[in-house]
Amino acid sequence: MNGEISAYIDEIMSALGDEGISRENIEKEFKRFIEYGVPPEQAKKSLIRKFGGKKITRKFLKDVKPNEQSINIICKLITKNTREINVKGETKTIYYGMLGDETAVLPFTSWRSDFPAEKGDIIEIRNAYSREWQGTVQINIGERTGIKKLDEGDIPNIQQDVKKCKIKDVYSTFGPIEIEAKILSISEKEVETDGIKKKVFSGVLGDDTGKAQFTAWHDFDLKEGDVVRIKGCYAKFWRGIPQIVFDERSTVDKLKEDISVGSLSVPLHKLVEMRGGIDVTTEGTVIEIKENSGYVERCPECNRLIKNGECSVHGKVRGVADLRLKMIVDDGYAGVSAIANREVTEKLIDMSLSDCKKIVKDGGEDDLLDIIRKKILTKRLRLRGNAFGDEFGTTLIIKDASVVDVDIPSEAQQLLQMVEGER
Amino acid sequence: MKREGAWRIFANEYNDSNVVIRGTGEKKPSYVITPLGAKINRLFVVGVLTDVESLSEENELLRAHVSDPTGIYTLYSGQFQPDVTATLLNIEIPSFLAFVGKVRIFEPEEGVLYLSVRPEVVYEVDSSVRDRWILETCKSTWERINAVRDAMKLSSPSINELVKLGYSRQLSEGVIKAIKSYKNIDVNRYLNSIEEALRYLLPEEEGLLSGEVDIEAQEEKREEKDGMEETVLEIIKEIEGDKGAQWDVIVERCQQLGMDKDTVEEIISSLLDKGLIYEPVLGMIKTT
Repeated sequence: MNGEISAYIDEIMSALGDEGISRENIEKEFKRFIEYGVPPEQAKKSLIRKFGGKKITRKFLKDVKPNEQSINIICKLITKNTREINVKGETKTIYYGMLGDETAVLPFTSWRSDFPAEKGDIIEIRNAYSREWQGTVQINIGERTGIKKLDEGDIPNIQQDVKKCKIKDVYSTFGPIEIEAKILSISEKEVETDGIKKKVFSGVLGDDTGKAQFTAWHDFDLKEGDVVRIKGCYAKFWRGIPQIVFDERSTVDKLKEDISVGSLSVPLHKLVEMRGGIDVTTEGTVIEIKENSGYVERCPECNRLIKNGECSVHGKVRGVADLRLKMIVDDGYAGVSAIANREVTEKLIDMSLSDCKKIVKDGGEDDLLDIIRKKILTKRLRLRGNAFGDEFGTTLIIKDASVVDVDIPSEAQQLLQMVEGER
Repeated sequence: MKREGAWRIFANEYNDSNVVIRGTGEKKPSYVITPLGAKINRLFVVGVLTDVESLSEENELLRAHVSDPTGIYTLYSGQFQPDVTATLLNIEIPSFLAFVGKVRIFEPEEGVLYLSVRPEVVYEVDSSVRDRWILETCKSTWERINAVRDAMKLSSPSINELVKLGYSRQLSEGVIKAIKSYKNIDVNRYLNSIEEALRYLLPEEEGLLSGEVDIEAQEEKREEKDGMEETVLEIIKEIEGDKGAQWDVIVERCQQLGMDKDTVEEIISSLLDKGLIYEPVLGMIKTT
């Protein structure tokens, strides 16, 4: 028991820090609590409160480990977003975003019904706890966590730990990042925030691992084809598509050497987990072709599908023939809706629009659908395009597609050798 | 709600499963957890359609069987899948069939579980499609075997640890559940399935030569099998009563006579094929 007590006393002493309180004193008080039957953990907390007074030990974000309790931090609220979640049939709003202090930047989630601070505020958070989420420590704020706004001066510079990363890694990297990428397209527009007109530059950039959209809130004199190092930018996501955002606080250097740019290649189930992406490549099996695939006619004015030669907006029109495919492509773990335009459809079914039109005129739409199904159902496809995530999953707008040939005997032989080798 | 992926599973692994996660509340999906950790709500299968029978007047409910190299899938299609029902009624038997379907779990009493499939889409295919499916299913079974082995090597297996090893989140979730729920996972059984299925895809290695030598042995084997079929049939007659004999009880009785489970199941399906017995309800066997 004595050993245990002294372990508790050690904890109390270290929690109180240099407060000039004698160890004997604490030990005497602690034993009294124990004699009264107070659990030691409770006794420890009471004594820390008693002697520590108002003083709360502040924890730096870099020192926070997963599954810690009673964390007290002073930090800047870097971003704050809301999300609706469903708890036992009731809709609840939760808050999430990034917190930063002079040592690190961490993501947070707040389950409190309110969040009394705004983006940019310096806040003191008491009695928070931490969890691990996808390999990163996350600060959790519950109903019993206190949030207090402080004056701007209370926190020194936020030390943002800038992580170097490739485009493929921005999906799993929190906080400020540094990337080297090539500007693939850029356009300029003017927006008004708080009554001030500002130029915004946006477009697409990429490196050898993939592509992302970007938005620059400052004129860095970027041009298409420039290779740049952007330090201190952030990745935001819209429907799963990464957007690299930077402004005058970021450093942008133009680099002399050219870099190669490639499509992000991921397993299909991984793409569904990431939700989306610009110019991604993936593979899966066609397990379903939807009824609305095949030959369609569109309004020449608005491109809407027309029925019986009539557009719902423009009335009787001369329809423009088109082909499209909507299919479910699946890798055994997850599936996406994949949508093909005329060009891709013609390539996949190895038939031209006029071939298809003829079949429809001679036999009807179902005849064409049957032929299409025979040609591509159950085929393994390699797909490249842009993917978007929503509440129903991920949709891939195909830019290019090809059938993956499988050499069954040789692959079977290979696998058989592997399986037998393990025996 | 996100779309569920369509797992590639051989019939024996699916039918061996006795762990399910029941969806509660509105629209929550149910899952079958297989011994190798597949967490199935939807599956994609290509096999041979061996029979279609109508269980009601006007074809409101159909039952069909699709066989793969390891066993048989039972399909039920009702009035809510008119396209599927129509296709099944008009298709020639036997033919190669591909289907995407949802798990169908029937638990008449605690501890008794009958698994079948409610197809969402079915379509006729050719043998090359079936071969490709067998290869893909071998690969994915092999991956699950490795995931189960890796999980058992971990000191404290967790979903995140398996994801870090490169397995999909879906598989990692299933494997963790499987190693907690199944006492002894018979990995060898599924290694055998993979090997058998793969050999099926390969051109005969020794060709006719070895076949000729084996004719005598095959003859002997067939006689032995005929003998066993009689035994199994006797057992069914003995215990069937009015309602039929329970599948599990038949297997148990035969095991007492020294037959292994796979052989018994093979014999039962052979008797089914011969029309000597039938399955009035799923899991019950009666003689004709």
